[in-house]
Amino acid sequence: MAGQSNPNLSLFSAEELEFVAEDEIVEIIPNLRMEPLNLICGDFGPFFPQIVTQVPLWLAVALKKRGKCSIRSPEWMSVEKLTQVLEAERDSQEMSDQLPFHYVEISRLLFDHARDDIPDAYMVRSLIEDIRDVRFHKVESDLEAFSGRTVAVKIKNLSAMEVNIVRPFIGRALQAFFKHDSPELIPDPERVADRRQQVPNSAPRRHLRR
Amino acid sequence: MEKYYDIDDIITEEETVSVIFQKAASGVGIDPSSETDFVEVGSKVEVPFWLAHELQLRQAISVNVPTCFNQKTRLEIQADSACVDLRSRCPYFYEFGCKIASTVGDRTIGFLLLSAFKSRYKEVLTKAHTAALTATSRFSMILTKEETSLYEAAQSSMAAFKKWRMGGPRFQRASVLGRKRKSTD
Repeated sequence: MAGQSNPNLSLFSAEELEFVAEDEIVEIIPNLRMEPLNLICGDFGPFFPQIVTQVPLWLAVALKKRGKCSIRSPEWMSVEKLTQVLEAERDSQEMSDQLPFHYVEISRLLFDHARDDIPDAYMVRSLIEDIRDVRFHKVESDLEAFSGRTVAVKIKNLSAMEVNIVRPFIGRALQAFFKHDSPELIPDPERVADRRQQVPNSAPRRHLRR
Repeated sequence: MEKYYDIDDIITEEETVSVIFQKAASGVGIDPSSETDFVEVGSKVEVPFWLAHELQLRQAISVNVPTCFNQKTRLEIQADSACVDLRSRCPYFYEFGCKIASTVGDRTIGFLLLSAFKSRYKEVLTKAHTAALTATSRFSMILTKEETSLYEAAQSSMAAFKKWRMGGPRFQRASVLGRKRKSTD
């Protein structure tokens, strides 16, 4: 509950992100007949047995808990697709854009509530864990590039959970770098580059002035 | 004055610096080695930074560079900054450095702080997000206050994520709910 106990530390807690991710649309196969639901976020249904329909994840989980539907595992949550993604992640320095923004949360929700609907659940789970590890390692190596006058760092296709984990750290690190690299403390920006180069550089300059 | 109520700022200014009196002062007990309440010109006294700063503005003293910014520490930081125990030297190394730099008039302290922070930051980054809590407790003993806050920010967000991923009860029952209602009549 990082976000709730300490508002300065992080904007969201993992639970809050999970709540946000519950608005993602998934496909379900209902086994009941029901009128369409007219909700503020949109109209869902009508529901007929064995006819695939699209609903938000929270509704899918609620129906699943009551045994009224089975959730169709999303396209990206298959062993072939995830193996592909994992290989792509390992091969390149860039983060791949093939997973949804909330992939960590969606996969956890589905594993908790609809484990029986996911084919090869065990394999899928370990693949997602591997992908997450690889991606997080990339984030870390990107963050190592921070130095004196960094104003921003560009990391593409970061997912919600990943960015939430590093957010408090990045904020503080950038603040600290900003403070220590302020022009008051270090007057000449050219000299920041390398302290050792200072000496050979300053000697010829004085020469010219004579 | 924007940091007037900042406790860290107050503690930072408590850090002692050694100063040399340029003017004689009487009626002050700041020199523990002298037997009278009189401070002679040229005597070397350790005073807290906030006092040194004010006295220096009145040109009563000259401030020496504190030991945590001397040549020996600098060499150690250049050699392997990640292993230098900055906490025992000065828990508020960076904050104190920023303050002392303008007082002493030493431009190189700014570079020292930046280069030290840069290389120690990388160490904090790699250790904070990956290593287990027990393995890194030794490492966190050598961090300064500022680095510790950075380190703990990373660790706690990682720990919160891991806790969420492991699962457990999703809903916590509010303590009010269990109680029986008292009859109101």
